[in-house]
Amino acid sequence: MSVRFGLTLLLLAAVQSGAALAHHSTAMFEPERRITLNGTIKEFQWTNPHAWIQVSVLGADGKPADWSFECGSPNTLSRLGWKPSTLKPGDTIAIVANPMKDGTHAGLMYTIKLADGRMLGPGAASTEAPAR
Amino acid sequence: MNSARRPVMVGRMLAAALWIWAGTTAAQSLPRAADLPDWSGAWTRSTGAFYESTAEQALEPPPPADSPRRKPPYTPKFEAIYRDNLARIAADRFPDPISVCGTPAGWPRLLALPDAYEFVTRPEQTWVLTENGPNVMRIYTDGRSDPAPGDFWATYTGYNVGRWEKDTLVFRSLGLKGVGSTILARTGLVMSDKLETTTRIRLIAPDRLLVTTVLTDAEALTRPWPVAFTYSRLPPGSTVYDYACAENNRNPITSDGRTLTLDSGGRVIDKIE
Repeated sequence: MSVRFGLTLLLLAAVQSGAALAHHSTAMFEPERRITLNGTIKEFQWTNPHAWIQVSVLGADGKPADWSFECGSPNTLSRLGWKPSTLKPGDTIAIVANPMKDGTHAGLMYTIKLADGRMLGPGAASTEAPAR
Repeated sequence: MNSARRPVMVGRMLAAALWIWAGTTAAQSLPRAADLPDWSGAWTRSTGAFYESTAEQALEPPPPADSPRRKPPYTPKFEAIYRDNLARIAADRFPDPISVCGTPAGWPRLLALPDAYEFVTRPEQTWVLTENGPNVMRIYTDGRSDPAPGDFWATYTGYNVGRWEKDTLVFRSLGLKGVGSTILARTGLVMSDKLETTTRIRLIAPDRLLVTTVLTDAEALTRPWPVAFTYSRLPPGSTVYDYACAENNRNPITSDGRTLTLDSGGRVIDKIE
């Protein structure tokens, strides 16, 4: 990766960390609190205006529950190294997100750790090379 | 005349006179396409937001959250509107107009969007295209004049008439929609439909564009309010994508301004009292 590419990615990561703010109020999320959940990918919606990650998470009662995690737009994500194939149904992940204030099973994605150890998301320290 | 508003009025009259004089001298010759600066490719915002900034400050870190630069010099009427907006934000009743897919961000808010930008220059016209939205802004440099009062109506991106001053595009924007239709930022900042802006765009490095815009608003502001943004050119060959907001909008707005969240099946998942 060239220095220029790297600088561009850093700029993107800095500015786009608020990318999910682009389309609607985020008053439903807790801005100061983050939760970490382990689960299995059910669906990855690579769609505008936001990509969404549907995750099955085992609850305290041992039963699986569906969670929805909102991301930036595919356009933003693609420039930060994401692809439509980055997440597949059945993948095990650990996700960090700002939860919804009302306790609903949803949140604003901050980082996601893939099964191979890669970290992605606006809160990740590094990103993959951009898809071109 | 209210003494508090006299500086605004005098400033606007002087700015308009200078604008007309400069425009009549510049309108006589269009630049050649080959003489226009190279703004090709895709760009992304790298610094700036809606807080008061000089061109130099645009390159500095953002001002602290409690900085007076964060808030425009509002008139009492718009100070009250702003404070009401803050209360509405706290209650999740300050919906973003662009959450209704198809509603443009408008000018000058489109300066502060995520995703890619394109600045397409032609001698007679420049287009600012934003991937997010998308938004299309047309800036006419073909020698035309501003429309006469009564000959135009408010639109999201307004009427933008300008000229090239060597490597700098200078243009004036008027006929803009205001509070009730557009916002400047989701922090509660709004302007009135009296808003007019004067904007300068130029390269400050081969891959860095500086945009400075001075907002004047006889109804909302007690003095002109300058803001500045910079944009960095994305790697050569970067693709600018579709942005179809209605493709999978899982955040509809209620009639009272609350933003909802839908599950993957389209059902509201918020706990609504």
